[in-house]
Amino acid sequence: MDLVRDCLDKQLDDHNKRRMGRVDGLILEIEEGRQPRVAYVEVGVKTLMNRLSKRLGRASGWLMKRLHVDPDPYRIPWGKVRVGLNKVEAEVEAEKTPALEWELWLRKKVIGRIPGA
Amino acid sequence: MKKIFEIALGIVTSVGGFLEIGSIATAAQAGADFSFQLIWAVLLGGICIIFLVEQAGRFAAVSGRTIPDAIRERFGFNYFSFLYLVLALVSLLVLAAEIGGVCIALELATGIAFPWWAIPVALLIWLVIWKGSFGVIEKGVSMLGLVTLCFVVGAVIIHPPWSQVLKGAVPSFPQHDSAHYWFVAVSILGASISPYLFFFYSSGAIEDEWNEGYIGINRVIATGGMSFGSLISVAVLILAAMIFAPQGVKIEHYSQLPTLLTPVFGYWGFWLLVASVGIACLGAALEITLEIAYLTAQGFGWNWSENQRPLDEARFSTAYTVTIMLGALASLVGIDPLAVTIFAMALTAATLPVSIVPFLFLMNDYSYVRVYRNGWISNAVVIAIIGLAFVLSVVSIPLQIFGGD
Repeated sequence: MDLVRDCLDKQLDDHNKRRMGRVDGLILEIEEGRQPRVAYVEVGVKTLMNRLSKRLGRASGWLMKRLHVDPDPYRIPWGKVRVGLNKVEAEVEAEKTPALEWELWLRKKVIGRIPGA
Repeated sequence: MKKIFEIALGIVTSVGGFLEIGSIATAAQAGADFSFQLIWAVLLGGICIIFLVEQAGRFAAVSGRTIPDAIRERFGFNYFSFLYLVLALVSLLVLAAEIGGVCIALELATGIAFPWWAIPVALLIWLVIWKGSFGVIEKGVSMLGLVTLCFVVGAVIIHPPWSQVLKGAVPSFPQHDSAHYWFVAVSILGASISPYLFFFYSSGAIEDEWNEGYIGINRVIATGGMSFGSLISVAVLILAAMIFAPQGVKIEHYSQLPTLLTPVFGYWGFWLLVASVGIACLGAALEITLEIAYLTAQGFGWNWSENQRPLDEARFSTAYTVTIMLGALASLVGIDPLAVTIFAMALTAATLPVSIVPFLFLMNDYSYVRVYRNGWISNAVVIAIIGLAFVLSVVSIPLQIFGGD
């Protein structure tokens, strides 16, 4: 598998086929004398900003802390991930993960309060 | 029979979706300032958008993905973030122009100054998207857009010199005001080859659940719809050339537009123009708002669909709500909608390569479009459009400065 081509930036769904984001980053574990192996996939703003520049990554982390939001990206163990042709599927329930934190906050505090939502 | 109905409906929708304030304003300006001489620019823009829209539909039908979705996947987050910033900014400006267009139509109808209409119009757009399904927006509002066919009827009734109209279909050098001539030509191309049109079209294909069986239908809809759309723009240009050019009238404000139809239809001409501008701009505003929300949601992998409840896609709903608020700002503070329109069209032209270059790669990627990859004709046309887009991106800003008046 070509990790960048087949996994990075692909649509990430949970086991109920609910969209939960994209594969924003991949974490590799490197041990001496062994082949590098993929440990996690990451979903989160800080990971994305880090890909643009380290300074942006630090700035976004700082900003999220000020807003009382956990800046650490959500990590899914590689063992719970299945890479398909069009998307990547994770053996998790999206709504119980931090990946949908903003979605649930907006649903509860903003959109859900508007009539007809 | 079902397929014929789908094709007819698709063409009607595309016609309704094609014409917006940018096409009306730039075509009227071209006719008023250069008579029939710039018809070629409308036709060239029409041919380009036919190819791009057809390819966007084919891409979505075969790959099951929208263009923003595939750009993030294929080119990574860094390129996507650049495209996102550019496209969202330009689309917001175009949205501001369209909201301004609806407000101007209401000002013409009621006499109440357009800034007062900014909030009611923004609320109307939001309400249609909040409550309506994709079908309501795509078919309902676009169907109303057929009122713009009154421009075609007017252009025929006014008996233009058809030999000169045909002559205008061939590109020619200007006899006067070169910078302004090329500026208007660039603005017409910017209005026609709008990335929002083919990005929205690819999302629409996914909303309508297209698959490989729709490739033929897509080709007919893209060609028929965009051709009829261009025909309406040509009709606006002909009317302006016949009515404004002989009197030396320069289009400096939208309030001049009603005189485009009153010589042909009398009293009803005024109301036909108000309805045409209002409905065409409302339809375009709905599409652009959704396009920005789609771009955001698809790029970041959020849940999105105009056919779901807002509660089930809170981030998508928030995206279009914020988009509408930002789009209404220019009208609210009283910035001249014509100035916003002309600037937005020139900026669209300047930023075209950002969205069209990756599109060419996607249309030749076997992993996405398999045997339905572009043939040599389609590739040659897209490469020509990219060449044209690079020229436009270089010349549009200097022309805006030297030929924008």
